[in-house]
Amino acid sequence: MSGAVSFLLAVLAGLLTGILSGFGVGGGSLLLIYLTGFAHVPQNLAQGVNLLYFLPTAAAALPSHVKNGCIEKKALLPAIGAGLLCSGAAAWLATAMDTNLLRKCFGVYLLIVGLRELFRPGKEKDSVKSS
Amino acid sequence: MAEEQHTSQIRYALAGGLAGLANGFFGGGGGMLLVPLLMGPCRCSPRKAFATSVAVIVPLCALSAVIYWFRGSLDFMLALPYLIGGLIGGLLSGKLFQKISMTWLRRGFALLILYGAVQALL
Repeated sequence: MSGAVSFLLAVLAGLLTGILSGFGVGGGSLLLIYLTGFAHVPQNLAQGVNLLYFLPTAAAALPSHVKNGCIEKKALLPAIGAGLLCSGAAAWLATAMDTNLLRKCFGVYLLIVGLRELFRPGKEKDSVKSS
Repeated sequence: MAEEQHTSQIRYALAGGLAGLANGFFGGGGGMLLVPLLMGPCRCSPRKAFATSVAVIVPLCALSAVIYWFRGSLDFMLALPYLIGGLIGGLLSGKLFQKISMTWLRRGFALLILYGAVQALL
């Protein structure tokens, strides 16, 4: 595949997952599936791309959340404190372990998420009447 | 009252810790854990849960990214086209939000995820 084509495909994949992320439909995991399954990027590099992908979009959304007072302030210190410790250790582990084993772990995680999502009772009200 | 305050702090810490594990280990997906945990055990409203989860996950992501970078798992040029697409997608998303069926979107999402699971495991 030529460089230009794979670049355009990557832009398109980023665009579609970006739309889904905006809907709150876990775009991150879809991007990881595209990267590892279609673009054949090694699992650890794909996860790195996902981290870089998430940061600017989330950081851009933060100021308006803060302004609207939607953030539970008393959650921040304990959740971020414990989260930093755990994410640091987990990131270290993920980059130290065998890439293929990491990919298998990712597969199990997807299986759980996918099944839960499929069998979850549809509580959200549909914005469009089913036709 | 002080007891109540104390247990809620522990719940927040556990929720953040679990999200951190997913975030560091899989390079994402922390929100899929954190949002339901904030709404369930931590009793936040959905709106607060989404906003708070973003505020918690941004610093975790930043730390994970730094560690991935030090360990040679971060490729900026590889990420560039996805970032460009993501920016456009984020802008479009707000406009399309009213026009799609969430139920079918969720089902399609679940099928894609399961497809990814099969691919990763086989």
